Amino acid sequence: MRYFVSRVMFFVLTLWAAVTLNFIIPRLQPGDPAQTMVQRLAGQSEAIDPAAIRAVQIMLGLPTGSIFEQYVDYLQAVVRGDFGISYTYFPYTVTHMIAEALPWTIVLVGVTHVLGFVIGTLLGAAAAWKRNGKFDTVVSLGSTFIGTLPFFWIALILIYVLAFTLRWFPEAGGYSGEIDPAWSWAFFGDAIYHGILPALSLLITAPIGWIMGMRNNMVHTLGEDYTRLALAKGLRQRRVALTYSARVAILPNVTGFALGLGTILGGTVMVEMIFGYPGMGKLMFDAISNRDYPLMQTIFLFTTIGVLLANLCADILYGVLDPRVRREAQT
Amino acid sequence: MTERASLEPGAVSPEGAGSPLLSVENLSVSYAATRAVRDVSFQLHDGEFVGLLGESGSGKTTLGNALLRLLPPPGRISEGRVMWWGSARTGEAREGPEPHRAGRDLTTIGQEDLRRLRWREMSTVFQSSMNSLNPVLTIETQFRDVIEEHTAMRGAPARQRIGQLLEMVMLDPSYMRFYPHELSGGMKQRVALALALALRPRFVLLDEPTTGLDVIVQRSILDNVRALQREQGFAVLLISHDLGTVMEVSDRVMVMYAGKIVEDQRASTMIAEPMHPYTRGLLGAYADPRAREVEIAYIPGRPPDLSRPGQRGCLFAPRCQEAIDVCRAEEPVLSAMGQGEAACHVAEAAYAAGDGRRDQSARAGEVFTAPAGRTDRGPRVERRQEVLAVAGVHKRYRSRRGLKVTEVDAVQDVSFVLRAGTVTALVGQSGSGKTTLARMVTGVERPDTGSVTFGELRVDRLRGRGLKAYRRHVQLVFQDPFAALNPAHTIGYTLSRPLINHQDVTGAALRPAIEELLERVGLSPASTYIEKYPHQLSGGQQQRVVVARALAPDPEIIVADEPISMLDVSIRAEILELLDTLVRERGIAMLYITHDLLSARVLADEVLVLHNGKLVESGATLEVIRGARDAYTRQLLDAIPNPFATRRG
Ligand SMILES: Nc1ncnc2c1ncn2[C@@H]1O[C@H](COP(=O)(O)OP(=O)(O)O)[C@@H](O)[C@H]1O
Ligand code: SF4
Ligand SMILES: [Mg+2]
Repeated sequence: MRYFVSRVMFFVLTLWAAVTLNFIIPRLQPGDPAQTMVQRLAGQSEAIDPAAIRAVQIMLGLPTGSIFEQYVDYLQAVVRGDFGISYTYFPYTVTHMIAEALPWTIVLVGVTHVLGFVIGTLLGAAAAWKRNGKFDTVVSLGSTFIGTLPFFWIALILIYVLAFTLRWFPEAGGYSGEIDPAWSWAFFGDAIYHGILPALSLLITAPIGWIMGMRNNMVHTLGEDYTRLALAKGLRQRRVALTYSARVAILPNVTGFALGLGTILGGTVMVEMIFGYPGMGKLMFDAISNRDYPLMQTIFLFTTIGVLLANLCADILYGVLDPRVRREAQT
Repeated sequence: MTERASLEPGAVSPEGAGSPLLSVENLSVSYAATRAVRDVSFQLHDGEFVGLLGESGSGKTTLGNALLRLLPPPGRISEGRVMWWGSARTGEAREGPEPHRAGRDLTTIGQEDLRRLRWREMSTVFQSSMNSLNPVLTIETQFRDVIEEHTAMRGAPARQRIGQLLEMVMLDPSYMRFYPHELSGGMKQRVALALALALRPRFVLLDEPTTGLDVIVQRSILDNVRALQREQGFAVLLISHDLGTVMEVSDRVMVMYAGKIVEDQRASTMIAEPMHPYTRGLLGAYADPRAREVEIAYIPGRPPDLSRPGQRGCLFAPRCQEAIDVCRAEEPVLSAMGQGEAACHVAEAAYAAGDGRRDQSARAGEVFTAPAGRTDRGPRVERRQEVLAVAGVHKRYRSRRGLKVTEVDAVQDVSFVLRAGTVTALVGQSGSGKTTLARMVTGVERPDTGSVTFGELRVDRLRGRGLKAYRRHVQLVFQDPFAALNPAHTIGYTLSRPLINHQDVTGAALRPAIEELLERVGLSPASTYIEKYPHQLSGGQQQRVVVARALAPDPEIIVADEPISMLDVSIRAEILELLDTLVRERGIAMLYITHDLLSARVLADEVLVLHNGKLVESGATLEVIRGARDAYTRQLLDAIPNPFATRRG
């Protein structure tokens, strides 16, 4: 129990530190923080758009009152979810833009991340259990081959074959223009229909790493004495494979999986750009290309929170699955 | 469970009275080109306690794994059968001979049939059980799954049974809630043993069940095994490289060399009359440390490489002092002679001619003698030059868990001196503070109070550059030679480092200097070793390289931490002799750390016995050993396996 409490406390602490740094850093430079920040991001030589400075000032909170009052204001704004107004999508707020994009990304990346992990781990475990068999050869060679292909190439092939030639799926977008984004079945169906192609492209590549990792770990645990002892005990093959060999082999992968969750909030720029998908990746791309500082800053803050959350997940999962980290050895 | 008649001495001859429980017929096992087990046949009877003895690499584990059909790839049974005569149990029909028992060949039996036999009929404790428990399951789960797989026992009764099993191996039932990493090595071993006995099997294979544990823990576990075996009557095949242990607990001993069984006879007669020269050599490695004069022998050379094809004749011949011409042409087969069986031409001829007496003494091999008091190293100990003095040192470790701070007094008020040309043995159980003291001598650890002085130098006050310079004078020899050598570097490279760093030997002078070091530790001709990598050498040769590296900076002090405990019995004496020669010829002061009083007796001038951080006994070796006053010292003496002592009941 103490382990979990300490992990959560560590999370809260780092979260606070990240939020505070976000407040402090723009104020460390001399002069008007908004101006310096825009100047830094834009490059020294360029002329600065006063609109940009205004937007940043709104985001930072106008420097009135003592630094302590500013800090309290800032914290309150963060808690309220008030990050100012987007410069590109004026007059929408940053919060509004993120709220629009986040669900798309969470569904697409989240689902494929989980599915990729499950599929990859199962395939890897099966390959290891029947190692050097036909199945293993196909899986190992197949994943090595796919692993060498560039992602955008796979995505483009998919678009070309399934969308352009066969016309089974739309080529781009998250939903059709004809349907209004609303909480309706028609819209959901349409969104899923649009999501299949990007999801498919992610699902082809996502399991590769898990397959290789799981296979290697499990080939190792299969040779361990405790697996051989489980066989000697006359346990059923299934139990030996799952509770003894796979159960231990999965541990290192679980950390990788949880840490991978952290990238969800940031979206996947490449997938979203190729498929014109309206998620966080695309939003970030737009923010950067338009120098929309409030939006950028907030997305960075979100990514940081995502990574911290993922770390927390990883620690907790590991603690649940591996008793060795929970309790210290007592001899 | 009733006591079995077959346990009485003499009731079972190796040939077997009645039908066997397990019979191995012409079994051969190979790993690709390596023929690890070659044409082995033997029988095992109900309730028999049989030892399988041999040095590492002789094929013991392979044979054991083959019996249970647990060979790891690429291991393969290339020939022979393993017949199991104990049919699947029905009720208590296992008492008394069963004339119509049908045998089943374990090497060909179907997977499902085999699975049902496993653990109910035959179970095992693996070599190095450190890793044979699943790290993510509780002890209880690991008992429960096998109990539920093979019996109808569930829930509370199963739990109760697990508790009983743990108590049987002297562990508190509450340990069942623990995970393996929360137990010490000895406790894990006990758990593995209890697990093996969970379903009251008829046959238990124990593969080096206590190797690597503290001697006193070893002793207690083996006594426990033997008592349980007497009580429950299961048959045991105990695999070990430690002759003393095997001889003491087994009814019958089989000796394995280069994949073959070379001798098989009752332990009681084997001690008096070993037949095979190899067995005779092994027995020579034991002696009573309390004797006025102690002689221990070793068998020079090393076992053959079983992956080389076309080897003819007796594979022991290159190391055998009794070899005759026919030995090199024809491989002897295991056949009845004397009171048992042996595979040796000379022994066979001797028994055919009469009572088997041979010209050579039973102590075959090279002999290393320790006289009552060491005078061969120069003047009396007290007059030899003092090199390092440890005076009144204390060390307390604090460890914090949560808010609780626990303090351990690792070393309390210890004083001693190391003298030139003198070996000082530091004896004690693990955790007694030996390592902490050794670290103070090397300057790695500072005492809280007290001093360590080397000449004019206060070692306990050194830091940085000074400490680095001091290291040249103190060198270490570790327990595990392979771990101490970098596997990626050749022997030549490994030895060149200290020569370059400490002795400023460079360029053309380097190679002769390396060769000289190798020759000095008996690796000759040196040129054949320079280009080799550690894994290409045997354990004994690796340890010689480690010693050579320690000699390179020309140190005044060598700290040797259990330098022979990982080596095979047949070559331990060889390394002891090497250390002895170096100390004598180069006037080195040696701190020899061990818990083996026999080796301390042979090598050391003085002994310091450490218990819970305190010096409980010290003085001249023979005096300490003979007049052991401290309870702990006596316990250590009792823990030395001694095949010649009267066997324990
Ligand atoms: N998994 C393996 N692969 C290849 N060779 C092996 C393997 N295990 C053991 N051997 C070889 O088989 C021989 C016997 O080894 P082993 O049965 O472990 O002996 P012991 O238990 O007596 O030390 C040795 O030469 C060893 O190198
Ligand atoms: S057969 Fe010959 S070489 Fe082999 S052990 Fe006997 S005497 Fe020695
Ligand atoms: Mg072995």
